[in-house]
Amino acid sequence: MKLRNQSIKESLTGYLFISPQMLIFLVFLVYPIFEGIRLSLYQINYTSEKFVGLDNYVTLFNDPIFFKALLNTVVFVVFIVVLTVGFALFVSSAVFDKNAKYVSFIRGSYYVPVMVSMVVMSMVWSFLLNPANGLISYFSQEMNLGTVNLLGKTTTVLPVIIFVTFATNVGQAIILYIAAMVGVPKDLFEAAEVDGANRWHVITKILIPSVSSTTIYIAIINIIAVLKIFVVIQLLTGGGPNNASVTLMYYLYNNAFKYNQLGVASAVGVIMFLITLLLSVPQLRALIKDM
Amino acid sequence: MSHDNSNKKKKMELFDVVTNVVVTLFAIINLFPLYWLITSSLKNSSDVVKMPPDWLPTTITFSNYMDVFQSQPAARWAFNSVLVSGVTTILVIAVGAMAAYAFSKINFKGKNIIFIIFISSLMIPKEIMIVPLFRIIQDFGMVNSYQGMIWPNVATAFGVFLLKGFFDATPNALREASRIDGAGEWRTFLQIMLPIIKPGIGALFILNFVQVWNDYLWQLVIGQEKNMKTLMVGTATLMQDLNPNFAYKMAGATVAAIPMLIIFLLFQKYFTQGMTAGAVKE
Repeated sequence: MKLRNQSIKESLTGYLFISPQMLIFLVFLVYPIFEGIRLSLYQINYTSEKFVGLDNYVTLFNDPIFFKALLNTVVFVVFIVVLTVGFALFVSSAVFDKNAKYVSFIRGSYYVPVMVSMVVMSMVWSFLLNPANGLISYFSQEMNLGTVNLLGKTTTVLPVIIFVTFATNVGQAIILYIAAMVGVPKDLFEAAEVDGANRWHVITKILIPSVSSTTIYIAIINIIAVLKIFVVIQLLTGGGPNNASVTLMYYLYNNAFKYNQLGVASAVGVIMFLITLLLSVPQLRALIKDM
Repeated sequence: MSHDNSNKKKKMELFDVVTNVVVTLFAIINLFPLYWLITSSLKNSSDVVKMPPDWLPTTITFSNYMDVFQSQPAARWAFNSVLVSGVTTILVIAVGAMAAYAFSKINFKGKNIIFIIFISSLMIPKEIMIVPLFRIIQDFGMVNSYQGMIWPNVATAFGVFLLKGFFDATPNALREASRIDGAGEWRTFLQIMLPIIKPGIGALFILNFVQVWNDYLWQLVIGQEKNMKTLMVGTATLMQDLNPNFAYKMAGATVAAIPMLIIFLLFQKYFTQGMTAGAVKE
């Protein structure tokens, strides 16, 4: 009996310790999810709410800009994640076994753009890409290509945004990979060397497979980060030209805070929520297996 | 055969050297936009658009910075950023450490399932719930208030995730000894366990501070009055500013970036530690 009391007391203490986090969590995270689902079924004006069923979703599926935003988001996710994982693997497998000073220089110089944020980097890039007086336009004139307006053309705007986002954010993946690679047991490499394997074999056959759980983690956090890509769109293109660079998050924001279509915006939010939920399943599985 | 092998080895050494040269070169190119940001902010309005450009500023002027601070409430924005990032982070540490301690050291019913729910929330960006979140804050009367900027950012399981790893690494015997000595759970937590995980708290402080400092979308919708903007949001408004002087815009962006650069230079090791503590299994 005493033992049972003890365990009830222990349980109560546990709940007490998690309760502040739990409360904030319920109010600002769990409740908004359900409220978002509810709002997506309503037509919302300044003062009134009217139940409209799935009308908001029907509106979305009849809006070509929504599909443009969806397609652009998928393109961004695929290209940015592949570039990030590929390039981060290249950089970190080249430097992971070098001396500490050099490694920290590499880590630092790729991470600094992450540090100073997408807002600041977008502002610099907007200056660099400015057709009238940006450095990139200057180089293209020097090479007799005339002034270029990379952000003003529907064909070039996506690659430019992909590049800017990738270059700004790749540092985080590099830090994670280097840390994971430093942790790979040394005797694996020694054994490989005894067997006459060269660096290329070591990298492709031992190193990269050893950090596969980090790869999954990096891929997932990047997919989710790119899914909500917003700042670079707002500051560089405003979704243009002609909606060529509009993304789901930008579309959601415009509907909510520019066109006052809160119901439609909520529907976009619900769709994005389902996508993230689906994407996080493998990561969650891994987590649960670990426990 | 052995000759062939050593030849191969030399080739691979060359391959290693070449890749490292490429990596270093990319690293330097990667830093160039920042170099251009800072040097442009120090040029006067005519030099900044000069063609061919001055790779080094010929005359250095701080007038763009003066402009930013005079024509915009940039000092207020900076204050807002420090306050919001600081208070948010302290709250994240307080509630996160309590929860992490419980998940790590206390046995309670449903602990594993609750922890999984907490952690899965890390995958859901709050941005996609911006409409309901905004309406909740509106109902609380917290639009254009610090509270409205702070609370939704405290609702992250990141602190729990990170600090649990640090608590897991402390010996259970320590907690038991403290309990046998008659200390209550709360005292054990505050006086014995918290001081041990100081490095974890340091890492969490820096990572979370930077994250909130760089937060954009939420602060954009919640701080609508000019004086209630954070530095990131305020700086971004310079892009729509009618002032065509790019040096002035770059000065604003530099003001937003410099504190983060300094934090990074001072605490580099915490970043690596904090980011990998949660993500990289050894």
